[in-house]
Amino acid sequence: MIGRRWWVPWLWLAPGLALLVVFLIYPVIDTFRRSFLDGKSEDFVGLDNYEFIINNPNPLVADTHSALLNNFMWLTVFTVITVVLGLVIAVLTARVRYEAVAKSAIFIPMAISFVAAAVIWRFMYEINADIGTVNAVVTSAGLERTAWLQDTGAPQTWLTDVGPDDLPQPFQINNFSLIMVGVWMWTGFAMIVLSAGLKGISTEVLEAARVDGANEWQIFSRVILPILSPTIVVVATTLVIQALKKFDLVFVLTGGRFDTDVVATLFFKQFFQNGEFGQGAALAVVLLLFVVPVMVIGIRRFQFQEETR
Amino acid sequence: MLHGRTSRLLWILLALIAIAALAFAACDDDDDDDDDGDGVTPTAVDISGASVDVLGLWGDDELVSFEALVAPWEADTGASMNFTGTREITSILTTRVEGGDPPDVAVPAEIGLFQRFAGDGEVVPLSECAGLEETVRANYPQGFIDLGTVDGTLYGFFMKADTKGTIFYNPGFFADNGYEPLTADSSFQDLIDLSDEILADGVVAPWSHGEFANGGTGFPGSDWIQQILLNEAGGDVYDGVIDGSTPFTDDAVKDAFEKFGDVSLTDGYVVQGGADIINATPFGDATFPPFESPPTAAMNYLGGFASGFISEQFPEAVPGEDFDFFPFPGGAVTGSATIVYAFNSDDATCSFMSDLASAEAQQIWVDRGGFTSVNTGVGLDSYPDVVAQAQAEQLTTAETFRFDLDDAIGGDLQAAFFTGVTDYLADPDSLDSILQGIEDAR
Repeated sequence: MIGRRWWVPWLWLAPGLALLVVFLIYPVIDTFRRSFLDGKSEDFVGLDNYEFIINNPNPLVADTHSALLNNFMWLTVFTVITVVLGLVIAVLTARVRYEAVAKSAIFIPMAISFVAAAVIWRFMYEINADIGTVNAVVTSAGLERTAWLQDTGAPQTWLTDVGPDDLPQPFQINNFSLIMVGVWMWTGFAMIVLSAGLKGISTEVLEAARVDGANEWQIFSRVILPILSPTIVVVATTLVIQALKKFDLVFVLTGGRFDTDVVATLFFKQFFQNGEFGQGAALAVVLLLFVVPVMVIGIRRFQFQEETR
Repeated sequence: MLHGRTSRLLWILLALIAIAALAFAACDDDDDDDDDGDGVTPTAVDISGASVDVLGLWGDDELVSFEALVAPWEADTGASMNFTGTREITSILTTRVEGGDPPDVAVPAEIGLFQRFAGDGEVVPLSECAGLEETVRANYPQGFIDLGTVDGTLYGFFMKADTKGTIFYNPGFFADNGYEPLTADSSFQDLIDLSDEILADGVVAPWSHGEFANGGTGFPGSDWIQQILLNEAGGDVYDGVIDGSTPFTDDAVKDAFEKFGDVSLTDGYVVQGGADIINATPFGDATFPPFESPPTAAMNYLGGFASGFISEQFPEAVPGEDFDFFPFPGGAVTGSATIVYAFNSDDATCSFMSDLASAEAQQIWVDRGGFTSVNTGVGLDSYPDVVAQAQAEQLTTAETFRFDLDDAIGGDLQAAFFTGVTDYLADPDSLDSILQGIEDAR
């Protein structure tokens, strides 16, 4: 009976589809349209807004080059550190008796809202060592207190005074400070997913390797890692998307000042604060263009896993 | 089965329709109230039951005071104010105006946005409200009338003002160590001489200085620079920087930046330390060192609102004895103020605007403290303490007064100015390219 009426499934899908169209598809199309219009979305300006992103004519207001480079730093540094840390912790905690406690402690930051986490870390990074935990630790170790969120210097000069002071822009102390907050929040996620994958590896495989005389490191690198690699890819794509659309941490911790803007904060700034709708929309489109391929890879990978299961 | 589902769907639809109908009925009720009224209001037009939607900056203590200011109007008219306070007022106001859903009244601090909206015809002239324009013209200083005027039409008036010509110091500490507070007749060199004297004595650092204010980081430095610019180069150059006839690359602006650098970057001058630390120190926290026991710095420069931070941190401090300010050397004064403007001329909106503009209403907040009025109807002797009174006096009697430079230029240029200040502190050698960068944002 139901099957004959072709419109019945659509009827039930309709509310969801309507929401999707109103809140996702229409804004995407409208953003795309506005990215070819001027600051007030009135006159057609062709590719001017994209030229603005490429030529970076106004770095004191909207440093598009810095934002793109910073996003690249997030993409690489944040993803690599989080995956490696998550993997290490997943492997190590599997070998101790207090596994549940250790994993819960590392997972807790995941449960905090991003803005709350950012506020917590504003206090952690506070310049006054009586308030800022990080500077309290640093000064009690006999080092100079550091403006973690403002210092645009290169990280290696902070510890050693060796090396060039003016490295390319993304190699900034404050960028790393921000990225470490992201790592703190997302390591728990990477750990949980990888740990689940780890538990899925049958003990026969591992025992067979041991019987063949493999040491623990060989088991990890030659057996566990290859079996885990699909899971690692899923975790990494999730983190890459997170890194690309990073907004809240940067917005709350630095407001994008001191060359820490990423594409998402710059888009918000141009669109909502500086009234440059065209430039903001163009930045949003660029962000979308970066995210889509990663999403496609992630979804493909997921489908592949489902099929091979 | 299918029949059962369809009928359930029907019921849900019916329920939704019923809810919608009820909602519309409720709206109608509101309108009816507007029409009926109960005739006890003193205003010519009955607005009881109406609600005025206000978007502003205030929260916490300031909001409590503002609500106290509005309470008599609400009681008299039977109308009510629906206030939304947000620090993101620029984003929200822009979005709401562009989206065709502006609030009835906006009370922001930045006039760049106001001028843009007024120029676009979004803002309603004060003359649309009976008697309002006359009241404002009669009771507000000409400088503030001019600031509320766009293309010859008066669109807004100012209520909560802050002088930026205030250098805070600890009178007891100054007396104990034989330091003389400067006067309006002093020169900038006198300020440097005083700083050198304090530095040489070695009791405390001459200055406490913090620039951190999230996205607005750098605004205290912009205040320094505008005060120096107005005092050293005069009002014409200052106005030129606002309207663009004098570029930021002008020697006068460069000189103001360098003088600001003399105070901020001279070794030993600032208790916090080097440029990075200054840029990372919250501006509010930087007001405390001169008033701690014992003090760790002699002076702090910030707008008049700093006295609020000091009183809150040191509740025992007596204004005028434990903390006070001396005028910025040169005597010319800059200041900021929240501007009030309306997006429609409904009866309720007009009644609300007229109330806010009145000296009687503003007196309520003056009495509560933390409010400087530019309405000449508010008497100087009515301020709660000598520091507040001196600030009001400085604002209303300054021979040369200009509106806050960064609030006047607004938007992109303001953002570039703030970034320029912190960039300059971090790297003073690249001042020329920084100034060019600010000018490029115009």
